[in-house]
Amino acid sequence: MAPLPKEILNGPYCLARVTTTERVYRCLEPGLSVVVGSVDAHNIPSTCRAIAISSADGLATVTVYVPVATSQETIQNVATTKRLAITASNPPDHRTTQLKGTTIEARLARDDEHSFLRSRLDAFVDVLEKFGFPRGLARRFAYWPAFAVTIRVDEIFEQTPGPQAGHRIR
Amino acid sequence: MTLRLSDLSRCFQGVLPSIVATSDGSGVPNITYVSQVFLVDDRHVALSCQFFNKTRRNLDENPAACAEVLDPVTLQAYRLRLRFLRSEKSGPLFDAMTLRIDAIASHTGMKGVFRLIAADVFEVVSLSMVSGFLLEAPPPLDNDRIRLEGARTEMRGLQWVSDRINRAPDLESLLADVLESLDEYFHFEHTSVLLFDEMNLRLTTMASRGYGESGIGAEVGLGEGLIGTVARRRRLLRLTSLEADLRYGRAIRREAENETGLLPAEIPLPGLPDAQSVLAIPLTVGDRLIGVIAAEDRDPMHFSEWHEAYLEIIANQIALSLDRMLSRPDEGAEPAVGRAVAEPGRERHVATASTGTARCRHRVTYYCNDDAIFVDDEYLIRNIPARILRKVLNEWLRTGRTEFSNREMRLDASLGLPPVKDNLESRLILLKQRLKEKCPNLRLVSTARGRFGLRADAAIDLIER
Repeated sequence: MAPLPKEILNGPYCLARVTTTERVYRCLEPGLSVVVGSVDAHNIPSTCRAIAISSADGLATVTVYVPVATSQETIQNVATTKRLAITASNPPDHRTTQLKGTTIEARLARDDEHSFLRSRLDAFVDVLEKFGFPRGLARRFAYWPAFAVTIRVDEIFEQTPGPQAGHRIR
Repeated sequence: MTLRLSDLSRCFQGVLPSIVATSDGSGVPNITYVSQVFLVDDRHVALSCQFFNKTRRNLDENPAACAEVLDPVTLQAYRLRLRFLRSEKSGPLFDAMTLRIDAIASHTGMKGVFRLIAADVFEVVSLSMVSGFLLEAPPPLDNDRIRLEGARTEMRGLQWVSDRINRAPDLESLLADVLESLDEYFHFEHTSVLLFDEMNLRLTTMASRGYGESGIGAEVGLGEGLIGTVARRRRLLRLTSLEADLRYGRAIRREAENETGLLPAEIPLPGLPDAQSVLAIPLTVGDRLIGVIAAEDRDPMHFSEWHEAYLEIIANQIALSLDRMLSRPDEGAEPAVGRAVAEPGRERHVATASTGTARCRHRVTYYCNDDAIFVDDEYLIRNIPARILRKVLNEWLRTGRTEFSNREMRLDASLGLPPVKDNLESRLILLKQRLKEKCPNLRLVSTARGRFGLRADAAIDLIER
């Protein structure tokens, strides 16, 4: 397994030290596709694509960034039910992790977080470009302003397609 | 403008993964990627259930779901509110969805490991564009609907292909004309025709177009890989995101191997190494399999939905014509005998070639145990076509005879042709093509209906081992 990139291990938004398997922490790498699922008071689920996730405490909590333009429903839902599921997948090999937890904070992303979101979007655009999608097209994804939703991570699941999908890792 | 599911046909091709959110009975959400949302009709979609996963369990507790699909051309997202209706474990929808999964599973060496358990059908409660998803609004949807002018062109194309099929004087011309027509009218630049051999349950490439190496003679077993699966299931397969499908399949393979150990090797794709889309159509007459016609392209969206129905009509015509040609009796009752009739032009006749004045010499070796012929230590062909070539060469070297008839081949029990549906003509085409590629100095040429001649521009040493 390739070592985690320096920006993951040393970056301001990511884990300071590895506390469980490296596989779990793949969900924090750049270049991933990140999506969130929430549910309203009537148990109706909703989807939203996210820009990035980060964790500064070994995945005890994570912060996921969703565009303001597309996340009204998600923000309403977490304000009501607090439940959030986050799935991060690496497009080239489909390695996927899902985190489930309870919202502890939802706020507008700060200006000093802009460059992080921009770099994560750029990394994702790089991946899409490798699959033949022109950079100009992929860079049209709205990403700013964004909401930052922080959850306490209750469960982590292996989600890579295959017989192990759904297996609880933590 | 009110969106309809059919307006989003590009989103349902599986080029980009979709996402699906569900929730269990206690309100814990789950979000997952799915390789493809299948369009059923204008009010329903389906998801493939390959593993009894959390999404599937949630649906039993709470039928509400939400899916988001992406247009692979504009990258615009669309959101579908869904209500789970039922799981189908048989029927046309299940068959259509399982074919794709079986083909990928077979290709990636996971036959039986990676399979469709059920087609989960959902009612689409609402459909909307995710506004604000892109910084710039996407261009208006182009639904790829057939415009009248387009339809006229396609009718002309059908007429043209049909005419060429009808006029083809022999099997070889028919195969070449069909592939040429598909290129001219549909811009299918990389195509091949494989014919099914009932004796060994394998498909053999008989003609191809648009490849550097023709691949004539390449074989695939019934049920093996993409083409073998199409042949076994007798159903058309269109893959619009081959690379993504294979990556998805390999991800599952890797996970399955972690659990169960090594799986069988992947089956190499025929033709283009970087194909992004595949269209494979079974050629059948009734329930009987004649072969498969396959097209590939580097553009993931090259083959569109309407091609399926349209090409199935053409495939039926091709199948009927192939069947007719493969079944028709030969003309000419007696074996033809000819001796050293010089051919015009540069070609030298056998008799001349054998006198030692030929420009070169080839060693043709028939290996009895392998039932295969090698030319100058390079594999040429095996089984019945190899026996035919051995017979013809033996006859020529022994008597100088260069003209032969299909009938005498059929009467020769040592060749092992089946008594009915012997596919002799297709076996001769295969032999001709293999000689053309591997030993152009030695040729079989059609001389009349049901007859062929041996032409050599080299001295031949025939060795049997």
